[in-house]
Amino acid sequence: MARFCSPSASRRVCSAHDVVTYSSATLPAQHLASALVGAGFEVTRFRPVERMLLDTFDGRLHAAGVRLEVRKGAEMQLIVSDGGPAPAVTVVASVPSVGEDLPSGPLRARLVPLLDVRALRPTVSVSGLHATAVRRNESGKVIVTVDLYDQLAAAPGEMLALRWAAEVGPFEGYAKAARQADDLFGSLGLTTHDGDVLDLAAQELAIDLGGHVDSPTVALDPSQPAAGGFRRVLANLADTIDAHRQGTVDAVDPEFLHDLRVAVRRTRSVLSHAKRVLPADGRDHFKAEFRWLGAVTSPLRDMDVYVIEWPGYVAVLDPATAEALRPVVDHIERRRAAEHAILAGHLGSPRYQGLMTAWRAWLDGPATEKESSKKKEKSAPALGPIVASRIAEAQEQLLSRGRGIGPDTAAEELHELRKDAKRLRYLLECFGGLLPASARKPFVQRLKAVQDNLGEHQDTEVHTSQLKAMSEELHGAPGITADTLLAMGRLTEVFDRRRQEAREQFAGRFAAYDTKPTARALAELLRGLS
Amino acid sequence: MKVLATYSIKGGVGKTTSAVNLAREAAISGSRVLVWDLDPQGAATFFFRIRPKVKGGTERLVSSKGDLSEHVRASDLPGVHVVPADFSLRHLDLHLDASERPTERLASLLKGVASRYDVAFLDCPPSISLASESVFGAADALLVPVIPTTMSSRTLHQLSDFLRDQESPPALFPYFSMVDGRKRLHRDVMAALRSEWPHLLTTPIPSASIIERMGPERAPVGAYAPSTPAARAFADLWAEVAARLWT
Repeated sequence: MARFCSPSASRRVCSAHDVVTYSSATLPAQHLASALVGAGFEVTRFRPVERMLLDTFDGRLHAAGVRLEVRKGAEMQLIVSDGGPAPAVTVVASVPSVGEDLPSGPLRARLVPLLDVRALRPTVSVSGLHATAVRRNESGKVIVTVDLYDQLAAAPGEMLALRWAAEVGPFEGYAKAARQADDLFGSLGLTTHDGDVLDLAAQELAIDLGGHVDSPTVALDPSQPAAGGFRRVLANLADTIDAHRQGTVDAVDPEFLHDLRVAVRRTRSVLSHAKRVLPADGRDHFKAEFRWLGAVTSPLRDMDVYVIEWPGYVAVLDPATAEALRPVVDHIERRRAAEHAILAGHLGSPRYQGLMTAWRAWLDGPATEKESSKKKEKSAPALGPIVASRIAEAQEQLLSRGRGIGPDTAAEELHELRKDAKRLRYLLECFGGLLPASARKPFVQRLKAVQDNLGEHQDTEVHTSQLKAMSEELHGAPGITADTLLAMGRLTEVFDRRRQEAREQFAGRFAAYDTKPTARALAELLRGLS
Repeated sequence: MKVLATYSIKGGVGKTTSAVNLAREAAISGSRVLVWDLDPQGAATFFFRIRPKVKGGTERLVSSKGDLSEHVRASDLPGVHVVPADFSLRHLDLHLDASERPTERLASLLKGVASRYDVAFLDCPPSISLASESVFGAADALLVPVIPTTMSSRTLHQLSDFLRDQESPPALFPYFSMVDGRKRLHRDVMAALRSEWPHLLTTPIPSASIIERMGPERAPVGAYAPSTPAARAFADLWAEVAARLWT
């Protein structure tokens, strides 16, 4: 967010991107243009312009210090700046909506890893009239550029209080000319702002350019009643579900569904640990309803994973085999679209609306008789010891099941172990507000090593069975040749090999987790909760 | 940051016009571009209308206290910055020789600005010298303009032979420059070199009076004559180079 600073303040200190904007509540923009002409600037005519910043829902570019701007004038320019002296500027035919829409070359190479699968969307927009004022030296070289904006509006008919503005950007090697422009604006009594007109519009419109950032971790006190702590954690997760519903329905990008599903799983996990903390009647009802919600989101997520991971899957195949799988990709895309329509229906259904309304009411509503009783309140268990015992129980469950797994144990048991590990992980994340970060990180790293192995085993197992089922579905379908079916067989073999490798690695991974250092790390983590 | 040097043992083959025009094409394709004029003639500096002055002289720039970012000037083209040349660069070999690791010095100076740019073009003087070896140590690829004549193709072979003896040499991206399709010699030499050098970039830069106008215009061709075949040739040549660098 831009900060205001005095006109005499150092340009570099007060501006994140070295852009300084000048404005005035009284002086008209045309007066400034005349003053610039008088000071030796060449000023173009004012022409219509639209500017918008693009970022992901969760503000990934902003967090990385990158600004991606679309500027529509005579042509549509894409401008990428990251605080360095030279912005990247290129002309595009349309507003990019995902990383793959960006022009190929270094710009895309730099931004795609940041964006991953997330879609771009406008965060703040302004429109108005634009003119450029430049001052040249004796060689005809531009030494300072001033961008003038007039009739600034957030949208048609919605004028900004900042009616006009003059921006002076960095011009490497010509600081003196910029200082002279600064002196000129100072002599005219203009107000100086850090940042450009988009920063100022965002500030005026109270738009947080940081995007939506959610975390399962909320501030908690180990001595507070356990029920209140659990309700707070669950309310935070409900916020996350709500925040990601519309983006899932609109199919903005696959991360909306992913984040919604994780919040649902965390909700179910926290509810399953809420025995003797939250009343059984509501708990069991909502557990069942969130199980339904999780289940209806799975088919689309499976298809999303195929689409996202497909390039990696086929990278290990020879080009001819990969090409033969093209009809499978088309099939997956069709199924994905069909599953999306079904899920969008569920997320707009009375059952979903009813669930979330009742859930909010249950979480926000008055405490149960048991919780509100003065006598009970005093004797109500504190959050810290309850969470400590739940984490210890989850760890015990994980170790107990893991120790019983041998080379011949059924794959389902590994799947159950994966769920145990997730339940433990969710406890650590959702009640992370009680746990010292310095102790949480090393323990989570140990747990994550086991989870990665179990995840690889489960994912490859699911892919193997899904591909076999798809192969049967596609057998005899129009456009499906023997080559395609053979290629599916090859891909199934790849998954099966990966599954076997994960299975072979499991014993080592689990043994590295089931150790005294892990036990010590857990004890360190829970110190201070009991 | 990818470092590209427009380089040839021979003079007058189109190194500077290539550096200036490819810098513009790289910038309008979305790259953050730095042009470092290493030629004491300062032709690239002139085309960008920048004062030919190396602050403190080449000796200070090349010394252990040198910092390339102090010498950077914004050009009039969005996204293109320039480190200008002056006549003190005629002693570049001597100053490099006095530094600790002469063949690594240019690479070391470029490292200081690597996070700020996607591409750096080094516009080199014609020669094979210590400065050239330092360029080879810094560059990911050499863009070598070749006029389709017997002498130019001979210097390409000389360069190739020289690089073969170097430890981790840069890639060689030769391309035809100042091509006059009406001349039979040009057509014959191009055909012969294409069969001998399968990795030659395919876009030829024509010999055109519109390119010569860069002098009075003091700008790349695309800035004042964007629809001409010459401007399109530089755009196509950059597309080829970019495809090799980023795919």
